[in-house]
Amino acid sequence: MVVLENVVKSYRGRQGDVKALSDINLRIERGEFVVICGPSGSGKTTLLMTIAAMLRPTSGSICVEEHDIYKMSIRERAKFRAENIGFVFQMFHLVPYLNVVENVALAGGIAGRNGGAVKAKELLRQLGLAQRAFHKPSELSAGEKQRTAIARALLNRPKIILADEPTGNLDPDNTTSVLGYLSDFHHSGGTVILATHGTEAEQFADRVIYLRNGQTDSPPRTPRTQRRNY
Amino acid sequence: MSKFWMAGFSEHTMPEKYIDIFASQKGISYNHLVATLQAKILWQGVEIILTGLAPERCPPGREKPPMSFEITQGTAYIGYELARRLKLKKGKTIEIRGKTLTVADTLSESGGVDDIRIQCHLRDVQDILNLKGQINEIKAIDCLCFLLTDDPLVILREELAAVLPEAKMIQMKPMAIARAETRQLVRNVFAVIMPIVVVACGAWIGVLAIMNVRDRQQEIGIMRALGYGSGRITLLFLGKAVIIGLLGAAVGFFTGTALALNFGPGIFKVTAKAIKPEYVWLVWSLIAAPVFTAVFSFIPAMIAVTYDPAVTLREE
Repeated sequence: MVVLENVVKSYRGRQGDVKALSDINLRIERGEFVVICGPSGSGKTTLLMTIAAMLRPTSGSICVEEHDIYKMSIRERAKFRAENIGFVFQMFHLVPYLNVVENVALAGGIAGRNGGAVKAKELLRQLGLAQRAFHKPSELSAGEKQRTAIARALLNRPKIILADEPTGNLDPDNTTSVLGYLSDFHHSGGTVILATHGTEAEQFADRVIYLRNGQTDSPPRTPRTQRRNY
Repeated sequence: MSKFWMAGFSEHTMPEKYIDIFASQKGISYNHLVATLQAKILWQGVEIILTGLAPERCPPGREKPPMSFEITQGTAYIGYELARRLKLKKGKTIEIRGKTLTVADTLSESGGVDDIRIQCHLRDVQDILNLKGQINEIKAIDCLCFLLTDDPLVILREELAAVLPEAKMIQMKPMAIARAETRQLVRNVFAVIMPIVVVACGAWIGVLAIMNVRDRQQEIGIMRALGYGSGRITLLFLGKAVIIGLLGAAVGFFTGTALALNFGPGIFKVTAKAIKPEYVWLVWSLIAAPVFTAVFSFIPAMIAVTYDPAVTLREE
């Protein structure tokens, strides 16, 4: 469960403070698939980063899995993030000199779980990347890169996956595929919070929250309109 | 002594065993004693100086690696002018008064009496001159590392007067001063150059580490997003610096030693025997270099830790 109360995030600019998030109040239930939709600059990434315990809000509180994450020490927050939150980015953010298995297993290094490489290979098999296990990111297609990033996010069996424009660089087939894998995670009981400026993900969502100028503008609950068909 | 000064060496001989007396004295500030027999002879129509040198000896408790090259019996080192005039080359066989010798090497031009000198093992020269068991000088090669302001002659005369009052001691001053000046020069140069080199190398390591941190900004962001803490990231960069330091120390030591062993004897002919691997420096390098690289990589590592993953990942 993720609960945001009166969250404000301001960036200090040359021409004064810029408010990226204005008084956000949000409650996301465990096991929910939430799409945060909005144009570029609306505050989607800032919102995800604050939920991910990576960006301290200017004011307000954020509770994830009943922990007020910004009351934790930096070390506790890093551990919490490693154990509870998986991240998927638009630009994949794979380490270029590591191969696919190593990139996925990188997440296992911090959570202190043994058998990271074995688990990474199993995940890669499930995501159809077994034959790419020892390739470098530069040798992968965009879809394969994103599936690698999903495998990395899934490695520590997180409770929540935060996905920031995960399909922004993908063709329609790969978009459907990636959203499908996120939906699978959701169906297995995980929480997905996905930020996008497109509409493709809405069909998988339990709820769509619209973000405009750092403020939420959402109907209380949007029923899923369409089931996955990938 | 006037004959000595005229000839450049003593024409009188003494028993070779005298060196045992010098070599057995304790508490005297000399090392590297060399029993020497020299004579002017006419050879192949040229007046030459024939010099026989015994292996170096050190007093008890002052054993050091030999400073000069050791001459094996049956070989000869030919001075530049003689080699040029008589067309002698390395490996050629020569005969001096019935004694056959192989040319071990020909020496580079010295601009002095050494250019008409043939250096052989003491035994060979004793045979050639028919002076078995005789020598006419004991050289104490200066390795006392006195400062230019010290006078080794005064110090040694005082020390020897108590135990060997009959010994005549002279200093081959130009050579000794040249060596002392060289040592002083090296010391002065090192005193200035070394701190500059150390700071420059450190700054260079720091710059490379900062460039490395900047290049890996995205990676740092990913690691922070995955939950890596500041300690792990600091360790990543300092660990890399330490590994580079260790590798650099090992590679530097072995490369330097290989170069010194290959080219050193050719450049420093007099002290060729002293050139050998000094493994104690490997140990010191393996300790000092990682500490050095870690110290100069500390600031870049701290910069890496302060990167805001949210900013880094958003910018990519």
